[in-house]
Amino acid sequence: MSKKDDIDPENLPWLGRKLLWLDKKKNVDRIVYSLYAICAALFAADFFITKYITLWVERIPGFYALYGFFLSAGLVLCAKAMRVFLMRPEDYYAPYDVESEEFPEDQLERIDHNG
Amino acid sequence: MSVQTALILTLVIPFVAAILNMVLRNHDNMRDGMTFLASVLLFGTVVFLVSNYNNNANQAIMLLSVMPGLTISLNLEPLGLLFAMIASGLWIITHIFGVGYMRGNNEEHHTRFFTSFCVAIFATMGIAFSANMFTLFIFYELLTVSTYPLVAHKQTPEAKLGARTYMGILMGTSIGFLLVAVVWTWQVAGTLDFVQGGILDGKIAGAMVPILLALYVFGIGKAAIMPFHRWLPAAMVAPTPVSALLHAVAVVKAGVFTMLKVGIYIFGIDFLSQTGASEWLVWLASASILIASLIAMTKDNLKARLAYSTVSQLSYITLGMALATSMGALGGGMQIAMHAMGKITLFMCAGAIYVATHKTKISEMTGLGRAMPFTFIAFLIGSLSIIGIPPLGGSWSKWLLMVGAADANQKFAIAVLMISSLLNVAYMLPIVGRGFFLKAPVAAPVGAAVSPTSRFAEAPLLCVLPPVLTAIGTILLFFYAGQIEAFLLPIVSAQQ
Amino acid sequence: MAENFPVAFLFFAGAALLFAIPKGNSRAIFLLAVPVAAGLYIWSLPEGDLWTARVFNLDLELMRVDRLSRIFALIFALAAFLGNLYAWHVRDRVQQVATLLYSGSAIGAVFAGDLITLFIYWEGTAIASVFLIWARRTEGAYHTGMRYLIIQVGSGVLLLAGAALYWRETGSLAFEAMTLGSLGTWLIFLAFGIKSAFPLLHNWLQDSYPAATVTGTVILSTFTTKLAIYALARGFAGTEILIYIGAVMTVFPIFYAVIENDLRRVLVYSLNNQLGFMVVGIGIGSELALNGAVAHAFVHILYKGLLLMSMGAVLYRTGTAKGSELGGLYKTMPLTMIFCVIGAASISSFPLFSGFVAKSMVLSDTAKEGYYIIWAALLFASAGVFHHSGIKIPFFAFFAHDSGKRPKEAPWNMLLAMGIGAFLSIAIGVYPAPLYALLPYEVDYSPYSISKVVTTLQLLLFAALAFTVLVRTGIYPPELRSINLDSDWSYRMLFPRVIGAVSRAIGKIWTAMTGFALRRVNGIIAGLYRTHGPEGPLARVWPTGSMVLWIAILLAATLLISFIDLA
Repeated sequence: MSKKDDIDPENLPWLGRKLLWLDKKKNVDRIVYSLYAICAALFAADFFITKYITLWVERIPGFYALYGFFLSAGLVLCAKAMRVFLMRPEDYYAPYDVESEEFPEDQLERIDHNG
Repeated sequence: MSVQTALILTLVIPFVAAILNMVLRNHDNMRDGMTFLASVLLFGTVVFLVSNYNNNANQAIMLLSVMPGLTISLNLEPLGLLFAMIASGLWIITHIFGVGYMRGNNEEHHTRFFTSFCVAIFATMGIAFSANMFTLFIFYELLTVSTYPLVAHKQTPEAKLGARTYMGILMGTSIGFLLVAVVWTWQVAGTLDFVQGGILDGKIAGAMVPILLALYVFGIGKAAIMPFHRWLPAAMVAPTPVSALLHAVAVVKAGVFTMLKVGIYIFGIDFLSQTGASEWLVWLASASILIASLIAMTKDNLKARLAYSTVSQLSYITLGMALATSMGALGGGMQIAMHAMGKITLFMCAGAIYVATHKTKISEMTGLGRAMPFTFIAFLIGSLSIIGIPPLGGSWSKWLLMVGAADANQKFAIAVLMISSLLNVAYMLPIVGRGFFLKAPVAAPVGAAVSPTSRFAEAPLLCVLPPVLTAIGTILLFFYAGQIEAFLLPIVSAQQ
Repeated sequence: MAENFPVAFLFFAGAALLFAIPKGNSRAIFLLAVPVAAGLYIWSLPEGDLWTARVFNLDLELMRVDRLSRIFALIFALAAFLGNLYAWHVRDRVQQVATLLYSGSAIGAVFAGDLITLFIYWEGTAIASVFLIWARRTEGAYHTGMRYLIIQVGSGVLLLAGAALYWRETGSLAFEAMTLGSLGTWLIFLAFGIKSAFPLLHNWLQDSYPAATVTGTVILSTFTTKLAIYALARGFAGTEILIYIGAVMTVFPIFYAVIENDLRRVLVYSLNNQLGFMVVGIGIGSELALNGAVAHAFVHILYKGLLLMSMGAVLYRTGTAKGSELGGLYKTMPLTMIFCVIGAASISSFPLFSGFVAKSMVLSDTAKEGYYIIWAALLFASAGVFHHSGIKIPFFAFFAHDSGKRPKEAPWNMLLAMGIGAFLSIAIGVYPAPLYALLPYEVDYSPYSISKVVTTLQLLLFAALAFTVLVRTGIYPPELRSINLDSDWSYRMLFPRVIGAVSRAIGKIWTAMTGFALRRVNGIIAGLYRTHGPEGPLARVWPTGSMVLWIAILLAATLLISFIDLA
């Protein structure tokens, strides 16, 4: 995450200041590593708890973990491949579509900390 | 007052009003006030007839006997009463609107205009209360003739051309086909009276039935069944009050009314259903419904779009008759009332827009809704009724027609009704959507009546109030449609 | 009888009263009061058919109150309240009136005891809701609204036609459980299917909802589709084909959700996927599955509203909801971010969040009833939901690369609405008993067993792991300013071209034909004028010359007919 020192932390909401912690790459890495650890622990848990089994596939150790990992990775790759056929520029349906329009300013209340 | 007197009065009132219009030609306010009075009186008389109507009593009156068995006579029956009530009731409102329109728009020849109007109403009452096909035919032709000067009112070459088309098709079809059909009917049946259950059963058979029906269908040019619909868009050159009352209510409804009368009282629903003679008409009416809607989509002139919408909606009624089921016929009768109320609203809104901005093209009406909210809300309500959205009257006639089609096992007709509703959405609601929610490409709309104190630029009150009233009327019709159905029920129940 | 008046009337009366209330906070308060009153009223209603109206010689049941209709009405009232709170700042009367009419119609529809009443309100939701799209007041929104309207009204006319056929077939108009078979029931099924966005009938949803206003999308997301779910549960519970339809519905939208750029549209794709779970539950039709579908609809309204509110707040503050333009907002909109994460956790059905206690009912029943492939599909879809709604939405809006945008936190009313939604999502997740008590059938189900919690966490966290790996390796598809073709391409590109070409051709032929006929007719008339009448003033009586002609024709016709008769 790129850090832009364009805003004085004093101007941030209290919670926002606390969350600046996330601005540091090191901290993000910490989160990622803890995710790895939790995943490992969950996988291991399969060998210790008694599962209520309805289907035989559920007996496979770590079935849910593997299913979740590989199918969602497959989902992303598939979807990425679909872009080749389905992706079009934003103004493809213009002017019959809102995609290429700006949202009408009079219905917004934009307030930016940067002025 | 006896029923007979009242029946005669329905003809006398508009007739006298026509004469008084000429007498009072130099006193605008008195003339228009008098006509207003006449319209209220006429409506009152019709209401009196409706409330004193007894299905079993014979209340016919013979006015003139041309030759034995061929008379000019009047009679009461539910369909005619309904038609008369709609036409006379809407006459009041259209008259108010007409006065506002003619004055607000600085049109000329007011006397000729309002006189012809009265004559047209006279003819309409005659049609509504005709006791036989001969009488109906006479008044039918009178209606064509009396509306001719109204169509040609502006006297421009364009108006004259439109009026000529109008006259040509209506006269041509009525003489070329309808007259032949009437004479033929008289020949085979020996009578032209409207009789419950029809007069042709057993008198004519085989291929002759559909042929005779075709002569009637094409002869009744006022029903605007394709391909004899061109007169209706051509008649849109007339001032908007004429389009409103005559070409959304009186003239076109006279056409489909005649169509229903022929189906119910000349042929008889059961006879049509047994012989299957109207099978082809289901298809023709369906085609007419869809094609006219498709053409309407391509029209940028608001009145032309409404005219084609009328062509489409009239064919609903023809379809109802052609289905040859009691529900279909009832649905057709109901559609006469519902469409009249909805379409007159739309026409009057078109007129109000014209008076306020002199705009006729839909593409130029973008953004107008914010300046003319009442007109556009009335237009929205009228459109929704035409589409058949509850809680507006139009939904019930669609419902009955669908049930009728289900009874006749005409699934095709159900599909047509469904598609037609969607087409109606596609060509009606853009006017409202663009009017309210998009900004006009050029600054503020040019309003004839922009006042510095108001952000609205509506047409004069006399032009805005009538469509608002009829819009409310479409809502009321939703809730009181049951009474209309019950009132109409004798036209189909007696023969079962 | 008068005391149990239809709930919908409360909303309609409110819409009428709105015109009398001045713009500003008093009107905003009024808009909150109406759903509160309705909610309390619904809560107090006894069960039974409480209000029959005779319209058009039909007995319309406007108030069929039972457990199924009551829970839907309650959540609709709650959603209307939250939506109006979220829209506190809106001063546009069109949207306010439309919201009241729309929510009123939806509540009216769930209490409908017959097909005609259902149709009336069904069309009511269609018409009222389009104004929330049109209220954006742009060219694109106008066209989108028209497309939406045609499809919605189309669903209505299908319902009407189906009702007509069904009536003639069974003699009854009551809205009860039906069996697919006749044309009538199929049409009704199709009408419900359009509104619940069955595959290939779905596209109006993704097309139109993101085109509404900031607040309009939140309100739209509640009613139409869940009304359709209610209708399916009422009319077609246990219809097996629904299981397969629902399974496809859960799976295919998630692919689109991954590559969609507009985050509000991503949420609508996931809305479609969530409907799939409910449809599967209805298709199975067991008490557990139906309870699951209804509970899912209930919690779904809350968390989907919450997610759309958070994206709406982002849009409100930055002018865009596109993934490619956003990122790094967590510093300045932390509360919105947290609410969004709560919504994301709920929709992903993390334990202790509301999605978990509802979705697992359907999921476990598919396996029990032996639909293994369906079960696998739903499991896949669950992981997928987490992927795009659970991670993608908060990640690309609030984290990811820093867009440099530093918008202010959402206004108080939006925060409050989101806060209530978030609170309820957690509360139901932690303590589901009150929700279970409202469900149509007795609940004998406990969502929290160690086995279920662990397997769910495994599924979800390994999906998160996959996301992390893909993002860190740069394989994850970036957010791009683009759109993706969906089935709406057929009616937005293909059909218009075909129809345009056909209608132009027909128009040409038509003009040529009528032109020819008209010239003929005009020629005859002109001839008549020359020979029989003076070109006098228009108002003069019809020339007597033509009268003669008429009579001649009349006689000729008589002669002709007599000859035919004689022959």
